[in-house]
Amino acid sequence: MDWECCWIRDEITPEGCPYIGEGEEDLYTSHRRRIVEKCVECPRFKNDLARLKGAGNPLSDVLPYVLTEFQEQKAQMVSMLSFLNSKTREIKFLREVGIVLQTSMDLDEVLSVAMTAITAGKGFGMNRAFLLMTDKERRNIKGYLGVGPKDYEEAWRTWEDISKSNFTLKELAKNFQKTKLTSEKVKFHDILGQLTVPLSDQGHIFNRALRGKKPILVENALNYPDLDQGLARILGVDCFLVMPLVSSNRRIGVIIADNCITHKPITLQDMQSLETFAFPVAFALERASLYERLQEEVAKQKAANLKLREQQELIVKMEKMALVGKITSSIAHSIRNPLMVIGGFARTLLRGAPEDDEKRSYLESIVRETRQLEDVLSEVLDYSESLFPVIDFWDLNELIATALADLAGTLEQAGIICLQELSPELPMVHIDYKQITYCLKTLLSTAQSSMEGGGELRVESLLDGDGVLLRISDNGKSLTANAREALTAPFFQTQEMGAGVGLSLCKTILERQGNSLSIISRPGGGNTYSIRLLTRKENI
Amino acid sequence: MANLLVVDDEANIRLLYAQELSDEGYHVVTAASALEAVEKLEAAPFDLVVLDIKLRNESGIELLQRIVKERHTLPVILCTAFSCYKDDFSAWLADGYVVKSSDMQELKEEIKRVLAKKQKAAGG
Repeated sequence: MDWECCWIRDEITPEGCPYIGEGEEDLYTSHRRRIVEKCVECPRFKNDLARLKGAGNPLSDVLPYVLTEFQEQKAQMVSMLSFLNSKTREIKFLREVGIVLQTSMDLDEVLSVAMTAITAGKGFGMNRAFLLMTDKERRNIKGYLGVGPKDYEEAWRTWEDISKSNFTLKELAKNFQKTKLTSEKVKFHDILGQLTVPLSDQGHIFNRALRGKKPILVENALNYPDLDQGLARILGVDCFLVMPLVSSNRRIGVIIADNCITHKPITLQDMQSLETFAFPVAFALERASLYERLQEEVAKQKAANLKLREQQELIVKMEKMALVGKITSSIAHSIRNPLMVIGGFARTLLRGAPEDDEKRSYLESIVRETRQLEDVLSEVLDYSESLFPVIDFWDLNELIATALADLAGTLEQAGIICLQELSPELPMVHIDYKQITYCLKTLLSTAQSSMEGGGELRVESLLDGDGVLLRISDNGKSLTANAREALTAPFFQTQEMGAGVGLSLCKTILERQGNSLSIISRPGGGNTYSIRLLTRKENI
Repeated sequence: MANLLVVDDEANIRLLYAQELSDEGYHVVTAASALEAVEKLEAAPFDLVVLDIKLRNESGIELLQRIVKERHTLPVILCTAFSCYKDDFSAWLADGYVVKSSDMQELKEEIKRVLAKKQKAAGG
């Protein structure tokens, strides 16, 4: 019999079978494989079988049964192979993700890997995913991060970019963390903001999923029983998956995944795969959150230690200063009485001395020098007093107005025009009124001494963050850096400024109460003195 | 002319006060201690007391409290080397407060002010 199909021949040429394609050339010489892989499905072979039947061959009745059974078995094997391949891929994928999740302590990295795994084609291939996490107080479950495209255009762009690149899942996650994490948080801000649900709301789908520790697939959301319709409206889809994240019975959060762009149905297999993935994600999220909280606590502890050390140093400094204050106060007091007697009697004698008495100049010198010594004493005593301030809430503008009124005569006499720019709506400042008045007067006096022959003085008050700024600017001679430093060193004396106890005292007073003093000199002339005052009680 | 009692434990200061205030036309009597001051207050009438807060081994504030209690119409001006007493509420009982200085102009003005106030109160 002349057969159409090649099944009878051990070897054939390419002309012998048109169904053998490129890459299958070895089938020309492999008789057995050619029959199994090609002939059993070949129309020519079917024709040959029909001819066998026509010729009355008894095998022709049996062969179709064998052939059908063989084809069914083959189809089953192909399907199993495909299933096996998909499971192998899944295991490989879970292993890859698992390694990162198990080793990472960084919350952002964990989030990036988890969300990329859910949404990337190389992962679970969902279009979009939202992560909701339980808040620190464990009262609410809140929207934390959304990942995925907002519309078709963005979806195609993203998928095209990903298909062009040959990134592994890990690389995709890294890239996501680096370039997209922050923007994605912002992108879904509107949706995330509406996803807050109290953990006490037992009937809510999130809490039902968490309680049951099983994912819930919502299909046909409009008719889904006991579903908050608001949720479907917020998400804008009628099919989504709610996957609970539970670790050691602790409710970590929930992932919502959907196919908002392709509207591809979410299968049972998708759900099972994601369920397998949920546990390592929950565990990693919990660990990273705990680690982050631990880091926060460590940082707080470090800051507290630093503050404690600063406080200790301050106490030592204060004790030293208190001692210095006590000694200077005691000395000053002992000196003041004799000085008063010397200066007082000199004044009495001067008053009684005739105008032409040559001794008048001696008496005048005694009076002048005594007065100067008394001024220094007052400063020294003020310095020791500054160690014990009385702090309360005061109106800074009123303080400025009073101080400027006190000094108006002196400034006018020195040819200084004083401009006031006081902000009308300032909060009360938390200060020792007397001491800040002293500081202001000292700064005005320092500014005045740099403006020989007069000038313009600007006094401003303005809001500065949570504090208030008092700024004095003069257009006098610029202070040199040395002079500025000398002015704020205790009991230092410079040629150009005279006794510098005043500014040193100001700095001490201000810093001890948590305020600050800065002096800036402009090279072309002029200095700005800035005092920043607190508007609330500080633990200093 | 007004009678002033000056209480200070420093002899030279008492001398200076006596000299300066006499020149202003006041009749000045001095006391070196709280005890002496009380004796002199009982012996003669005074219009005003100039009192040092720190007396040797005694407190001027205690004397101030006693004067206010027993002679509440007699004004007292506190005089001290320390400006910090200005914030001490116990010193607020006094009618005036002056920091010691070789320039006694401030004290003289304070005496004038307090006496004028007393006179006005008596007249009213």
